[in-house]
Amino acid sequence: MSNIDRRTLVKGSLAAMMAGTAFSRAALAQSAEPILLGVSGPLTGPNAQYGAQWKQGFDLALDEIHAAGGINGRKLAYQFEDSQSDPRQSVAIAQKFVSDPRIVMELGDFSSPASMAASPIYQRGGLVQFGFTNSHPDFTKGGDFMWSTSVSQADEQPLLASYAVRRLGLKKLAVLHLNTDWGRTSRDHFVKAAKEYGAEVAITEGYIAEERDFRSTLVRVRDASPDGLILISYYSDGALIARQARQVGLKQTICAASSVYSPKFIELGGEAVEDVHLGTRYFPQDPRPEVRKFIDGFKAKYNGQEPDAFNAYSYDAMNMAAAVVKIGGTDRRAIRDAFAKVKDVSSVIFGQATFDVESRRVKGAMNAELVVRKGQFALWDGKPT
Amino acid sequence: MSSWLDHTINGLIVGNVYALVAVGLALIFGVSRLINFAQGSIYLVGAYIGWIAVVQLHTPLPLTIIVVAVAAAIVGLIIERFGLRPLQNSVRIAPLLATIGISFVLDQLVMLIFSPNPRALPSQLPDVRFQVGGGTIGPLDLLIAGVGLTSALLLFVFLRYTKLGWAVRATAQDRDAAMQMGVDVNRVNQAVFGIAAALGGVSGMLVGMYYNQIDTAMSLQATLKGVVAEVVGGAGNVPGAVIGSLLLGLVESYGVAVLGTSYRNLFAFLLLVVVLVVRPNGLFVSARQAPPEPLTGTFIAPSRPVNIPRWALLVAVAGFAILPLFPVSFYVLQTLINAWLLGMLGLSLTLVAGTMGQVSLGHAALLAIGAYTSALLSLVLAVPAGLAVIGGGLMSAALGTLLISPSFRLRGHYVSIATLAIGEIVALVILNWESVTRGPIGISGIPPLALFGYDLISPTSVYWFSLAVMVVLALLQGRLLTSHLGRSFRAIRDDDIAARAYGLSLNRYKSIAFIFGGFAAGVSGGIAAHLYSYINHETFNTQQSILALTVVILGGLGNVVGAIVGSVALVGLPEVFRIAAEYRILIYGIVLLLLVRFRPQGLLGTV
Repeated sequence: MSNIDRRTLVKGSLAAMMAGTAFSRAALAQSAEPILLGVSGPLTGPNAQYGAQWKQGFDLALDEIHAAGGINGRKLAYQFEDSQSDPRQSVAIAQKFVSDPRIVMELGDFSSPASMAASPIYQRGGLVQFGFTNSHPDFTKGGDFMWSTSVSQADEQPLLASYAVRRLGLKKLAVLHLNTDWGRTSRDHFVKAAKEYGAEVAITEGYIAEERDFRSTLVRVRDASPDGLILISYYSDGALIARQARQVGLKQTICAASSVYSPKFIELGGEAVEDVHLGTRYFPQDPRPEVRKFIDGFKAKYNGQEPDAFNAYSYDAMNMAAAVVKIGGTDRRAIRDAFAKVKDVSSVIFGQATFDVESRRVKGAMNAELVVRKGQFALWDGKPT
Repeated sequence: MSSWLDHTINGLIVGNVYALVAVGLALIFGVSRLINFAQGSIYLVGAYIGWIAVVQLHTPLPLTIIVVAVAAAIVGLIIERFGLRPLQNSVRIAPLLATIGISFVLDQLVMLIFSPNPRALPSQLPDVRFQVGGGTIGPLDLLIAGVGLTSALLLFVFLRYTKLGWAVRATAQDRDAAMQMGVDVNRVNQAVFGIAAALGGVSGMLVGMYYNQIDTAMSLQATLKGVVAEVVGGAGNVPGAVIGSLLLGLVESYGVAVLGTSYRNLFAFLLLVVVLVVRPNGLFVSARQAPPEPLTGTFIAPSRPVNIPRWALLVAVAGFAILPLFPVSFYVLQTLINAWLLGMLGLSLTLVAGTMGQVSLGHAALLAIGAYTSALLSLVLAVPAGLAVIGGGLMSAALGTLLISPSFRLRGHYVSIATLAIGEIVALVILNWESVTRGPIGISGIPPLALFGYDLISPTSVYWFSLAVMVVLALLQGRLLTSHLGRSFRAIRDDDIAARAYGLSLNRYKSIAFIFGGFAAGVSGGIAAHLYSYINHETFNTQQSILALTVVILGGLGNVVGAIVGSVALVGLPEVFRIAAEYRILIYGIVLLLLVRFRPQGLLGTV
């Protein structure tokens, strides 16, 4: 096969090309151009809302970073490429970023299929893929260029189980979960922890993301006669379930995962989400300075809008990126190494974020036990509902 | 036992919701023999207009309904006048595609104007609940039922007893004859689109209020469920659509009761396939009626294909083959790899849909079968990736043909709907069959492509590999089409009765086409699985099926070179529009519409 010969020939010419790009990258670092991050995420398609929320968080963080003098005097900027959370587009974006010498690291993608399809390209291309919403347990196993600040469900779900079982005293649970990789992983961790704490899980029901009608599901739940409902949902489906649960006559305590934490949850759920319990990483009256700065800054920038969980993830991610670039500079490998070096980065989700070098994730998310009272998220006062 | 009562009530309630969309679809189908894929988008537009009226203008409910109905009707009239009327002398597939393009454009416009965040749409009815069985129903349930039943009844009366109604039915039966009898066909179409759109808009608003939630993703789901309900009831039959919707709601509700929530849509689509196979005209359309589909090749544009000289093809292939030797970026190569993979899918679909006339809307399922087979072969049985990909192709050919075979007796639109359903069924089986497919967690760590012990990792090697596979498949398909098989395929497409009279076995030739097509699509899926290293049930979705169909139509149905040109264009265009960020799908939709309008036979023409 003459093909093989040709391939070696190509490899030679590629090496020459790469040397060229490395050279131009060094030259670029001297200029006053902003340091550029690549973002791969959905701006159109079924997950477009999450891309829009990411942007809000990124922009707020960038304002603060620049107000504080930028990265050693240089500005930080991001190039957002729309992937529609589609693996076909995220792999093309990955090649685009990898071959663009201005990009120093990548953030995203949103869904697991889109993110993990691109991982081999980032790994081989030597560009950090910083997946800040990627909870899939195998995401960071893609290689040493994959890092994530997504809260591990192995961490989060026992906290929720503890809230439901130990604090609220629920003994027989019905678990409703999004039937995605996130929902499944979360459910498994939750059920394990709840059983350890002595509760019985009477029924678990997975539903697909497009589902709007839960009445039949809730009749099944009712027939299992639980004393509490656990929602492993996002805010829009969580609000729908809560409303329909009340409509089919279920009056049990509802306890939800932190992903429902959004002002939209209350807006969409109305009276039905009153007294819903949820664990979160931060809350509106949270006295922690980093949370105050985030919430006040967010409201000032976006006309009084309350930030939600995805805003916080992306805000934290941009701050983390800035901290990493401060240490690692603009060299891609140095940036990878810097992830292992950053210590105690101020974070809304973790308080202080430091990576566990082994798993390339951050442990020890903050936890607050909230309840919806009078249409507001409030700290739970320990009173039964 | 009381649970069964509750499940029945819940089924009727949700069936009620489906009926609102299904009635509009049935009306349009009844007149123009068109499945209006934009009906869900009008429903979406109605929901957002309702939001403006309720939240911004604080209109009372009756006024809200009127505002939404009028506004939605105007949108419907615009669609009819500028989107569909110019296509009325075009081939039948052109308006179908146009509605898909229109729905892209409308959904994107709503998303750009209102942002993709979900919004609350508060109900304007008093919040009283009536106890029924174990649960409760509210005034909105009754209003939705009322709107659904009343509109179905009114439409029934309108079609049966008014002059314009007669004109509508006459146009439905025979457009040319109606015109000769002095029926103003355009006015009829306008009336129908206006009514259907008004109904669609109001239903979107009511459903939004029902769930207190509207978002831009509601459009596709509404269309899917509406189409299922409409076809179950009998396409074009308005009362049938209502009964079909209620039946669909009940089947789903009982399905959830028996097996659990994640099986819900599986029951919906199984119901559809069973009805199509047993009673292709739907439950409530008598079998004696004239088949609502064209008998002969009018579904597909007759045209003279562009003749590309052999040397030009050779030069093009050689050009692409030596492309990586030049300093092009890996991004360009990766984009072209995507194009070659889509090209294999396009080859598959252009054979099945173009040459054979079986327009499939579920082709992504073949990708998924190939991808899962190849991934599992290499991970579980440690089969080398190169062989595993071939295994994926073979499995896709076998399983795909087996799954589609019950619908071999269907024609025209019904094939599309059956394949759409089969595609959804395959995706849902992948989601639920956890012991094999690992369910929503998906399969990770799929080894990279390898050939004779060498890993193909660099973009350049994957590029050459996928280009080579695609060229080989294209050559095989070209050879197939020039043989007696190709002639038989086209004979069946153009006139299946004549073909049968000549002694051609339809089932056998359809099987051969699906076997070959399934193999090409399965190989494409298999390569994609090894390229991505991770797949789950969302990797190969309905959008991918629609994209494949667009490729085939863009290139020219049945046209081998056209499928490849179409793939390069449709992978390339969104990448070129990347600078337009949020606007790029909008631009893509507009380009699609213009193409259907001005070159319905595709770039290179139908073969």
